[in-house]
Amino acid sequence: MDAREVRQQLKELMVSELNLEGKKPADIDDAAPLFGEGLGLDSLDALQLAMSVEERFGVRIPEGDEARPIFASVDALVEHILKARVVA
Amino acid sequence: MRIWVTGIGMVSPLARGASATMDRLVAGDRAFAPLSLFEIPESPVRIAAEIPGLRADEIAPPGEAEGWSRTDTMAVLSAREALAHAELDPRVASVDLILGGTTAGMFETEDLLAWLSRDPAAITPLKRMLSHPLSSAGDHVRAAVGPFRRVRAVCSACSSGANAILLGAAWIRAGLSSCVLAGGADGLCRLTYSGFRALAALAPEPCRPFDRRRVGLNLGEGAAFLVLESEASARARGAQPIVELRGWAVGAEAHHITNPEREGLTAARVMRDALRRAALGPADLDYVNAHGTATPLNDSMEAAALRACLGPEVERVAVSSSKGQIGHTLGAAGAIEAAITAMAIARGVVPPTAGLEEVDADCRLVHVMTAREVPLRAAMSNSFGFGGTDSVLVFAQPDRFPPLAGADPRPTCRTVVVTGAGTVGPLGVLGARGAAAYLDPGPPPAEGAIAFNTGEHLDLARARRLDRAGRLATIAIQTALAEAGVDAEASRGPGPAGDAAAPLIGAIVGASFGSVDASTAYMRRIYDKGPKYASPADFPNLVPSSPVGHASIYLGLRGPVFAVADLGATAESAMTAAIELIAAGEGEVIAAGSVEEASPMIERCLGPICSEILDRGVRSEGAAVLLFESEARARERNARPLARVGWWSSWRGDGAGALVGSPLPGVSAGVFVGREEPRIERCLHGSAWACVPRRALAPRAGDHEGTGGFAAAVAVAAIERGTLSRALILGGAPDRGYAVLLEALGDT
Repeated sequence: MDAREVRQQLKELMVSELNLEGKKPADIDDAAPLFGEGLGLDSLDALQLAMSVEERFGVRIPEGDEARPIFASVDALVEHILKARVVA
Repeated sequence: MRIWVTGIGMVSPLARGASATMDRLVAGDRAFAPLSLFEIPESPVRIAAEIPGLRADEIAPPGEAEGWSRTDTMAVLSAREALAHAELDPRVASVDLILGGTTAGMFETEDLLAWLSRDPAAITPLKRMLSHPLSSAGDHVRAAVGPFRRVRAVCSACSSGANAILLGAAWIRAGLSSCVLAGGADGLCRLTYSGFRALAALAPEPCRPFDRRRVGLNLGEGAAFLVLESEASARARGAQPIVELRGWAVGAEAHHITNPEREGLTAARVMRDALRRAALGPADLDYVNAHGTATPLNDSMEAAALRACLGPEVERVAVSSSKGQIGHTLGAAGAIEAAITAMAIARGVVPPTAGLEEVDADCRLVHVMTAREVPLRAAMSNSFGFGGTDSVLVFAQPDRFPPLAGADPRPTCRTVVVTGAGTVGPLGVLGARGAAAYLDPGPPPAEGAIAFNTGEHLDLARARRLDRAGRLATIAIQTALAEAGVDAEASRGPGPAGDAAAPLIGAIVGASFGSVDASTAYMRRIYDKGPKYASPADFPNLVPSSPVGHASIYLGLRGPVFAVADLGATAESAMTAAIELIAAGEGEVIAAGSVEEASPMIERCLGPICSEILDRGVRSEGAAVLLFESEARARERNARPLARVGWWSSWRGDGAGALVGSPLPGVSAGVFVGREEPRIERCLHGSAWACVPRRALAPRAGDHEGTGGFAAAVAVAAIERGTLSRALILGGAPDRGYAVLLEALGDT
């Protein structure tokens, strides 16, 4: 799976798992922050996203502060998924 | 008038019995041990505070233990103890029962839900489903230790037990009851264990409330009941007070479904309201039994709220959390901790916070780490639940403080009016005036799910967390508020955004069985994929109070917010609870009714065995609420009420003679029922209402447990149109019933 595919699947996952009704995967900005400003997600979304990323991509997202940079943006999350999949 | 606590019963992970539990709490014992009830594979968290050796056949009638849950068992044992402690026999005295909880018989039905989701036609031991509804624990307590005159089941997640006690206090203060057995019961189950784990809220080791190293809570289970009694009733039978229940308050944060407000503004407001109700100040308080879950967010929020409420006295008032010893007992916690608070005053001892060693800089309070013997004049018990439902109770030594008469001259039963309604059904989204269309002849509605477009009524971005029941409930309440001309956003209480004079708006909305299909899908995922794939976002939606909690957050409702459940009479139970709270002065504006989702699981399994719904066709769905308001408040804001509540009643049993004492129908009257059933006939038999024209709504509004809400909305419409001057709303389910009489404003 290349970066483009991971990015597309991740955005589809976000729309369905976080119930971003009325939004399409293409509406999600690659570089914009996921939490607070930007998409406006919160800690409950982070937990849901971490669970579904693990289910879909087989990649674990660490808990707590370590997760912060990974959840910075779609770009950062894609990078983490690709890196973790290589290691695995 | 004083309210006395004259009996306490408890089954906890530390002991069977209130006094034995208190001994062990004071000794600093902790009940955490490896889980034995079920396995959560791959989980790093494996401990809980279980009640060992609990067997349903100890309390169930011979041969019926299969339909009785662990929750029922602990509820019955603690109810029996509380009545014995109070030397009260419900066969002799008139006693009411209120039980708080969250998951009821979920542990017993979890396997069944997973099997049935694969093969709904399977002939499995459906009898086990009998303990599934939230109302079942109350039904079983009634069967085992009753009779009780009224029975209510309430849920506000982790403040359920406290709200049961609060509602009991309201009944006594309004003169509706003289004696109430009120408490909570909640057994451990896979659903809550995997759910709190998914929320990263569980600690792998025994928890550390208020400690800087705290990482989360431990789950526990248990039940507790208090016998609440008016002083006059207790004196008349020579009963002694253990403590006085002196103050109580309930309010909603309208903030987030799982996270508390960081600064604890609502928690502080509710604590202040409870103290004000008790006519006490922080200087009178000697102890606080904190909610103290040991999650990072709760404990710092609660400490901030205590500082805000207590002011300088926070340097003196002792604080401890019992959750370091018995874990978080969820729907029972409010009742168990109320009982602990009462026993602390009675014994003159502050129980400790076990597990607390290094106090977090954010949580600086007068923490008690080993039990301390000291006279306690008054003490407060805090409970906070998912969806931001905060409840606070204040207890005091029986004769320490003067009676409340001077400060608060109730009991009086205030007049309640209806100022709006909201229905989401086959004819669309309608207020009371629009709901009159259900009175016109028309075709029967389509079976199954109703068509409605969320985006037409709600902001999709803000409503994305709301499941179907949450959306239906929110739209119904929003419609009722709009019809009544009530602006929820302006009623935020004192502050820059809110009008200080506008009362806080409450909501009481239930569903007969809760989110059964969502719970089934959630459990099936755990069985199929493993507990680590439990959905943290779905879990909070499985609590019975989730639809009303979501509505509170979406609409900014900050008054009393909770769910009730009473099988096919859930809407009537909610409306009755709202009328009672407003009559007692516990609320000014409350939307109340029920929401029922189209659900194959309810249709095929639960409905037929528990509520006798669906002997024909496919079950429908819908939501309907009325907006109740105190007449005083409606007058104050120059609102024209649509109808006035003239009389109401509720009962257990077949309803024979239930309308004795009701006002007469008068010249133009109607009876409105959700479904035409033999029990309605039985209830009307021999009453002046028997020959009054009757309308059943199910043939027009759809057949489900919540059609009683539609009957109520249509009754309001008929009065508002001037067609009728009196309308009797009658609703029931097996062995229970409710009646609410509405009358035109000019009719006295």
